[in-house]
Amino acid sequence: MTRNPRFTKRLLSALTVGLALLAFTERSEAQELYLTGPLAGAPAVRKLRLYRQSRFEIAPAVSFTLLDEYQRTILLGGRLQYNFTDWLAVGAWGAYGGLIRLPTALTDNIQAVNKQRNDQFDACTTNPMASGCRTAALSKRLTEVNLGQDLEKQLGSIDWVVAPQITLTPLRGKLALFQSIYLDTDFYISGGAAFIGLTERADCDPCKGEFDTATRMAITPTFALGFSFYVNKWSALGFEYRGLPFAWNISGFDTAGGGKDNEFPDNKINEADQRFRFNQMMTLSYNIYLPTQYKVSE
Amino acid sequence: MKKSRIGLLIAALGMIPATSWAQVKVGAKAEGAATKAQAEATVDADAPAAAAEGDAAAAGDAPAGEGEEPGAEGEGVGDICKIDPAACPVLDMPKEAARPIKESIYAVQQIYVMRARRFEFSPWWNLRSLNDQFVQHPGPGIGVNYYITNVLAIGANFRYYSPFNVDSAFNGQVRRAARVAVPLNEYDWGASLEFSYVFAYGKFAGFGDFIFEYDSYILGGVGALSTRPIAVIDPDNRNFEYEPKLAFNVGLGLRVFFNRWFAVNAAVKDYGFNEKLENLETSRQAPGDKSTWLGDNSFTQNVELQVGLSIFVPFSFDYRLPK
Repeated sequence: MTRNPRFTKRLLSALTVGLALLAFTERSEAQELYLTGPLAGAPAVRKLRLYRQSRFEIAPAVSFTLLDEYQRTILLGGRLQYNFTDWLAVGAWGAYGGLIRLPTALTDNIQAVNKQRNDQFDACTTNPMASGCRTAALSKRLTEVNLGQDLEKQLGSIDWVVAPQITLTPLRGKLALFQSIYLDTDFYISGGAAFIGLTERADCDPCKGEFDTATRMAITPTFALGFSFYVNKWSALGFEYRGLPFAWNISGFDTAGGGKDNEFPDNKINEADQRFRFNQMMTLSYNIYLPTQYKVSE
Repeated sequence: MKKSRIGLLIAALGMIPATSWAQVKVGAKAEGAATKAQAEATVDADAPAAAAEGDAAAAGDAPAGEGEEPGAEGEGVGDICKIDPAACPVLDMPKEAARPIKESIYAVQQIYVMRARRFEFSPWWNLRSLNDQFVQHPGPGIGVNYYITNVLAIGANFRYYSPFNVDSAFNGQVRRAARVAVPLNEYDWGASLEFSYVFAYGKFAGFGDFIFEYDSYILGGVGALSTRPIAVIDPDNRNFEYEPKLAFNVGLGLRVFFNRWFAVNAAVKDYGFNEKLENLETSRQAPGDKSTWLGDNSFTQNVELQVGLSIFVPFSFDYRLPK
């Protein structure tokens, strides 16, 4: 030891502070581990079955339109996509709606009244003085732009849809049914653009007796929310809700284009009669994943 | 002054072995030099003169005889035999080990939220009538359930529609274009008694980072729904009064839990009842005669999408068995 008392004091002080700091640091680390337990820093989920990652998804699907005023459509189609990761996929959904169309009760009611009017009007041509002919003639004249012989033939319909889309799968989980059946599941959100083939009543001016239809393609954003319930390593049941907001003429009626704010009929069928509608549908699918073996996370 | 500095230095030195012991106990750094330090520390701890031992033991770190296994079976049996030889068990261990084990192991050992014997209060808003294109029936509702078991509940609810009915502009367009009137109805209030059964529960991991729990339930019940026709055929002469009808309901719901007593709740419920519709014919002789205002009866299903909250009371609960 040196004889310089100042040096001795400084050395002792430095050693004391240094050792104290060393001890403080080490104790803090030990405490941190002790407080947070052996799972400190561990991921929320271990050994996660990666049903999607690096797999193709082929999903035959059937879609049912919802809240239809005049006609329900059942679309047959499917979804094809490639899952780059377990949470990101790129692909497309497509469906054909020309096979199954079911008129609603409203369509049936209107058509029943329409047929009754037409029959009465035809009868009145041979006997114009018969009872009710004046009313029949008035109704016929007031609806001649809107109603043909058969309402169903002038209704707007979705013929096909193709929607390239990106799918995000933010939620992965599991489900216990009746404490006896256990399923892996996920929740996904899809978004993209939809190309929709439509059949609508063709534009006309004047429109008396003109009830032809024409086709066109509408382009609109689309989104879908869905659940997948995995039944084995390579397949799942899918339930999906989809929105397709766009404007179209679902009834073939002249509802707008004239009067104040163009909110009154103008005796023409044109673009003004296309009303914005939030078209929505539920889809059931059977998802097949290829290759058939999934990966497992660490 | 100098002595005090020396004393501080000794104290600081005395902390170092304790630090090493803490590391070893946690086991996070039991390799290399740390392992060596553990061995040395263990030797030091056995030395009766080690001043640091007392500190470390007092701090709850490595107790003496850490390497022993006090819970080991053989030793435990041996202890019993020493205390009471008559109670000394005689076990054929290979035979005991070969016996079949009938242990029930649940896939989920502790459900996140226990519902049994708790109340659930659930205010909600009816977002949409899912099957009525003509009149929407939004409105608030509140329900209370009591869980008899963890999955079965009995409850009651009340719904209020009157100021919120929305007659769609679509109806006027149809009347104008096709000259066909569709009978319309609006609702005042509804109330139900119902059972609900939680048939599924599970958990979701969000982005593999956070986990939340959910459950799903079905329900069924009976109650009343007060409705009346909206006068569209002869609005000049007709004015209907609300009248309650017997209504049955079934539904399917989903709860997402934020904690053990608070959840977001969404349900689709179908209320079926016998609706009285406005008469499509008018009486020219007595348009004010109320007996001529009502026409056909129609079994109507009102499917609602309800979104709200669930609050479980009491807020906390105890598990019957440890995890």
